[in-house]
Amino acid sequence: MAMTLNQLVLRSMRKNIKNYYLYVFALVFSVTLYYSFVTLQYNPAIVKEIGSGMSSAALKAGSYLLLFIVIFFVLYANKLFMNRRSKEIGLYQLVGMSKGLVTRLIAIENIILWLGSIILGVLMGFVTSRVFAMILLKILEKDAFVELTFSLEALLMTVIVFLLLLIVVILQTAIRIRRVSLLTLITTTGVADEKVKKFNAFHMFLGFIGLAFIGYGYYLSTSLLDLSNPDLTPNMLLFKMVSILILTVGGTYFVFRFSVAFILNLVRKSKKGLMSVQDVLSLSTIMHRMKSSAMSLTTITILSATTLGILTLSYISYYSVDTVAEEAIPYDYVMYEDTGFDLIEEFDKEEIQYTRDDIDLLAVEADVRSLLVKDAALNNDISTRLTIQVVSQKDIQSKLPNLQLKEGQGYIVGYDSLRAENIRIEAQKPIQFITSTGTEEVFITEVSEEYMVPNYHSYGFFTVVLEDSYFQKLLNDPLNENQMVVGMELQEVSQLKKAEKIFEANKVSVEIPYPSGIATKTVSVESQESYRLDLLNELGLTIFITGFLGLAFLITTGSILYFKQMSEADEEKATYTILRKIGFTTNEIMKGIHRKQLFNFGFPLAIGLAHSYFAVKSGWVFFGTELVAPLLITMGVYIILYSIFAILSAGYYRKVVEDAL
Amino acid sequence: MVILRGRKIKKVFGKKTNTQEVLKDIDLEVREGEFVGIMGPSGSGKTTLLNVLASIDKVTSGTIEINNFNLQKMKEQRLSQFRREQLGFIFQDYNLLDTLTVKENIYLPLSVGKTPKTVSEKKIKEITDLLGINDILNKYPNEISGGQKQRTSAARALVGSPSIVFADEPTGALDSKSATALLSNLEKINKEKKVTIMMVTHDSVAASFCSRVLFLKDGQIYSELYKGEKDRKQFYHEIMNTQSVLSGDGYDA
Repeated sequence: MAMTLNQLVLRSMRKNIKNYYLYVFALVFSVTLYYSFVTLQYNPAIVKEIGSGMSSAALKAGSYLLLFIVIFFVLYANKLFMNRRSKEIGLYQLVGMSKGLVTRLIAIENIILWLGSIILGVLMGFVTSRVFAMILLKILEKDAFVELTFSLEALLMTVIVFLLLLIVVILQTAIRIRRVSLLTLITTTGVADEKVKKFNAFHMFLGFIGLAFIGYGYYLSTSLLDLSNPDLTPNMLLFKMVSILILTVGGTYFVFRFSVAFILNLVRKSKKGLMSVQDVLSLSTIMHRMKSSAMSLTTITILSATTLGILTLSYISYYSVDTVAEEAIPYDYVMYEDTGFDLIEEFDKEEIQYTRDDIDLLAVEADVRSLLVKDAALNNDISTRLTIQVVSQKDIQSKLPNLQLKEGQGYIVGYDSLRAENIRIEAQKPIQFITSTGTEEVFITEVSEEYMVPNYHSYGFFTVVLEDSYFQKLLNDPLNENQMVVGMELQEVSQLKKAEKIFEANKVSVEIPYPSGIATKTVSVESQESYRLDLLNELGLTIFITGFLGLAFLITTGSILYFKQMSEADEEKATYTILRKIGFTTNEIMKGIHRKQLFNFGFPLAIGLAHSYFAVKSGWVFFGTELVAPLLITMGVYIILYSIFAILSAGYYRKVVEDAL
Repeated sequence: MVILRGRKIKKVFGKKTNTQEVLKDIDLEVREGEFVGIMGPSGSGKTTLLNVLASIDKVTSGTIEINNFNLQKMKEQRLSQFRREQLGFIFQDYNLLDTLTVKENIYLPLSVGKTPKTVSEKKIKEITDLLGINDILNKYPNEISGGQKQRTSAARALVGSPSIVFADEPTGALDSKSATALLSNLEKINKEKKVTIMMVTHDSVAASFCSRVLFLKDGQIYSELYKGEKDRKQFYHEIMNTQSVLSGDGYDA
């Protein structure tokens, strides 16, 4: 018996190649991705560069997330695979095989497929892991050489995970075969999705509700972080966020389940029974399939939106690293008081070309109440007497060449509207300085969020640029304390590497007192480039992991759509046969199918893009300084990769249509 | 006028060592306005013959001309257009699209051509009136009976005013009452509108509606009967007799 069973398995496998290749693809892909990601954790070059601790913990966390994606994908692929083969399984039972025997048959087959896929996947993962390692190091701007590495731990992990998954799949199959009656097994593929039904007013209403939900969710998201709203408490914020989530996710489902069919039905009705073959293949098929595809299209949309949102946000932070570094350290090198004179000497000795700004930083008592935005000014609970840092216009001429201040005027830089919380200010208002001779007013012409002046106070509030003569006056006031800061800008970018080496060798720090005189603060010579690389180290790994997971998500959702389209194409083959017989050409039929594809792929993508756009827009300021470019780049890449699946499935449709006659 | 002319039609299935000759050098002609039936035992090649005549399948050798168009010389694209413009089809399992209403199904063949909407509407009305299905135009196929489905299918075949209509066992899935109703309709349309019809059937009653019946056996035309001035009953008996001779035992269906 065993012999004949094995023969049967092999024979059926050979005959089912078409069904298998999908499943095998899903398996091999999952193994490859998982193995290569886990291998990264054990790659010596990576371990050396990023060290252990936080970074390796992040990689580990990433691998768990990846595992989640993999499980989802494999189980889905198995379900689809079983659906396609229900007829075959039914047939085995029909000719008298027991359920146990059929289960064994499928189990043996699965074991063969899985072992093969694991071997193939590990081999591919072995190669791709090196590529991923190189990409990671490239993002971190480290030039280390990456060798092909084989990791026994990673192999063991992968094998254990996938063998466990195999057992789950076999159990799932066994339960399925046990539960299902012969009759339903045989007819599964035959059941067309939704049998044609009339559309009623209630569905119309739900369709409208779906659109309204999404719209309201978007509206809420735009006002999510409205800081001028005094009622904005953390609880309120959480409540709002949850509402937005429910509204958009629920709305998406309603749109797919009801709105689409409803709108398409209106279009259909307007044609009064005279539909072109293109309409027949797009409008009416989509309309009647919506009930069964609503759930999966919603899932795909939400997954795409989440992936895109996270990708965009992490790309925004990565993209903003340069700007963030520039804001924190406005010059290539900044030294406080007399910390860095060794460094300057070394630079001169090594012939490094630089320009130098010597800046007097003055700490002045000021009252900003008159500067506040309208609503806040009335709130007397807010203490508005602060120590403000001021600089003279001539000291930062190189940063603000176009600034023309008249007497009694000031210009604010480095104002951070986000972190200012309840001290929100606006321009065209006066600020009051408290001097030994009384209170004096300076008119603020403009408030800029740009950082241009190094700020040695850790509280990082704004800096006021003052007209030179008034600055001199404040400087001479015994109430105020001043600090000297030197900012240096390299003239030749090519000398950056050399300068950095000298900087590393001459790091010094000194204690400087706070203006209050109570405490002191340790400051050192600061380098913008070093700071940028530190940031990059933190964020590079994040963008890599999110990018990797994003890609996995994208390929998973794309494949699922593709698989779904494949089975849809197979189910609709009869329709194509009829149309071909009546005398429609392949190209005419394909035109209609392209329209359907545009919907099936384009619609979830479009809604996903819209969702992620609103999500990103509501919170991006926490992640970086630039929205448009990272958003467009991420979305562009996503659209391109996603389209590949649409093109693949169109190719499959063409084959089916061509074979239909 | 001869509308369909077939010369030495040969069809071989299978490859190299394992081949089977299904049609063996068949010659036939169909004149305009004829209602031709093709009968024969299972495996005699009826459906294959209909498929190659209707350009759905390709012949291994031989030539087929419809309305002076040589099917073998046309490319796939051209052939599709030809089918759409010159031929009509009625199939045993109706071949209606489930997702379309009756009217949408009937409109399909007109949808690609440049037929103006008003003309289409008029044609649909005319043919559905003739077939008695104008009250179910907005229903979906799963809401109507088998007889109505087949009449819808016939309406779709006829709406484009084809040169010739091919019907493959059109009554195969119908009860006898619906079958008779459909055949009377076809007969009427054949006579009144001079539409040429070619029908494969294994049902002698159905065949008796034809003006001529060809008998196929082992891939060859074995004999043919003309109705002439005979009434349907007489013709039916004649068909029955020929059939029993053909199958040798009189039991073949």
